[in-house]
Amino acid sequence: MLHLLKIDLKKMTSYRTFWVICGLYFLTLGFTTASGMEILRWFANKTVEFGASINIDRIPLYHFPDIWQNLIWISGLFKLVLAVMVVISITNEYQYRTLRQNIIDGMSRWEFVLSKILTNVLLSVMSVGMLLLIAIVTGLIYTPELILADVFIGTEFLLAYFLEVFAFLSYALMLGVFVQRSGLTIVLLMLSHMIEAIIKLNLFRESLEPSIGWLKQFFPLESITNLVPLPFARYAFQEIQDYVSLTAVAIALVWTFLFNYFSYLKLKRADI
Amino acid sequence: MSDVVLSINKLTKNFGKLCAVNQLDLEVRRGQIFGMLGPNGSGKTTTLGMLMGVTNPTSGSFTWFGEAATHHTRKKIGAVLEHPIFYPYLSGQKNLELNAMVKGADPANIAKVLDIVELSARKDDKYKTYSLGMKQRLAIASALVSDPIILILDEPTNGLDPMGIAEIREIVKRIAADGKTIILASHLLDEVQKVCSHFAVLRKGKLMHSGPVDEVGKGEETVEVMAYHDDLAVLLQEFIGSGSIKKENGVYQVTMKDGFHSQDLNKFLFEKGIVTSHLATKKKTLEKQFLEILAEAH
Ligand SMILES: Nc1ncnc2c1ncn2[C@@H]1O[C@H](COP(=O)(O)OP(=O)(O)OP(=O)(O)O)[C@@H](O)[C@H]1O
Ligand SMILES: [Mg+2]
Repeated sequence: MLHLLKIDLKKMTSYRTFWVICGLYFLTLGFTTASGMEILRWFANKTVEFGASINIDRIPLYHFPDIWQNLIWISGLFKLVLAVMVVISITNEYQYRTLRQNIIDGMSRWEFVLSKILTNVLLSVMSVGMLLLIAIVTGLIYTPELILADVFIGTEFLLAYFLEVFAFLSYALMLGVFVQRSGLTIVLLMLSHMIEAIIKLNLFRESLEPSIGWLKQFFPLESITNLVPLPFARYAFQEIQDYVSLTAVAIALVWTFLFNYFSYLKLKRADI
Repeated sequence: MSDVVLSINKLTKNFGKLCAVNQLDLEVRRGQIFGMLGPNGSGKTTTLGMLMGVTNPTSGSFTWFGEAATHHTRKKIGAVLEHPIFYPYLSGQKNLELNAMVKGADPANIAKVLDIVELSARKDDKYKTYSLGMKQRLAIASALVSDPIILILDEPTNGLDPMGIAEIREIVKRIAADGKTIILASHLLDEVQKVCSHFAVLRKGKLMHSGPVDEVGKGEETVEVMAYHDDLAVLLQEFIGSGSIKKENGVYQVTMKDGFHSQDLNKFLFEKGIVTSHLATKKKTLEKQFLEILAEAH
């Protein structure tokens, strides 16, 4: 297993595009999540000029335990960048036909898919690690009265975040295996949410909504989004789901398995 | 252990309606240098692709070393099919390191194989900056990196200069001298004749012929004659050993009847008072045999 991961990493680590995209991903992820308070402060100053005033210190954006869901929800937005990297990595193998040579050299088709999946796991783990670090540091800075027990409340969102990133990268990998051309795959990847939304819109007319609306959660991309619900409405005195739903995890897990299984199935049957 | 390295049994591949490989039966034994011949599109690459696990057969089977093939078997085979395939953004060295990792080969071999193909000086340049011939050489290096027992080369000299072709021929011969088995698909028939011990001819996916190369030269003999004499053609016809006579570029090509050889012709001419300026026995070339095999098929 480690050997397969090393092979895939060796392909990437001398590839400039890989470093540029990964660099951009981790930098933007890091800066955005770490500087939320500064952004809010700047925003508050602006609104003051218009006469309104927000006391930002009253918003516990970066306070344990709120910080976990807040930061993780924001980080989730950046996974698309990482997915583009995954698409480039797999479609390159088709474009350069190196996939063919890898098989000729003695990889099995499953090993090839596994090497890509393992890289996806690594990228997901790195995302979680990065977020963990930022959340702990900023949480310690901004939480006014630190209560140790609070720190651990909501850490299950880290696991949900891992699954969110990994599921989406698995989806990107599958798209790349099926479409094989980088440009087209990236466009499809970016339109995926919109396409799914349109399908849902057409399937669930208003009249049907009460009876079969619950089916929506089974859609692949929605299942990924449902892992970490939008938290910010709580600051407008609305009820939010501030826990990880096990149903959502189960559905996302099944989809993640299917994405990777479909990739393997497609590759197994293809002449390459 | 039997010395059959590769045994192909009714191997077939259809691409839609097109039958690229049709019920192919073939056997390759240890130590053979096996030439795969056939016109464009006759199914050579498709066959090798199936043997190397990249093309899924429609039906039929094959065994390597008497066992059904797995990816582990492929690690013991060095193969280049059609074009060199590498990561363009990686250096030659890095590409070979990657090949060695996939094959589970000792990375210490890399310097050695780079030396063999004379690419050591350029090993740190990116693959995409290589010339076609250098790419071909790197491909051969990658096939050698795991010190394989079998080498499969699909038109390895494609795009090489005459010197390069001769070098590859030497490399192939040297590897063969190590007792390795080589399967070589090529259009350069005199190359095949020079290096191969056995050959097979495919046409439209079907096996037309398979046998040793040195049998090609057997059978009727052709003698080339040149002499400064106006009636040479008439005299050649008088010789009782003459079969057919052709004139090509001012040289007479005499096909000998059974039991007659060039020395008989030489003696005959000498007795007639003619001294030849050129007299040579020509073995039948593989090229000729190849064209005959394909012609028979019609
Ligand atoms: N992926 C494919 N899809 C459809 N047809 C294919 C495919 N690959 C090969 N063919 C067809 O199969 C036949 C055999 O092709 P193949 O490449 O094996 O020939 P070849 O003997 O290697 O020819 P060449 O000497 O030109 O390299 C050809 O008619 C080719 O068009
Ligand atoms: Mg070919």
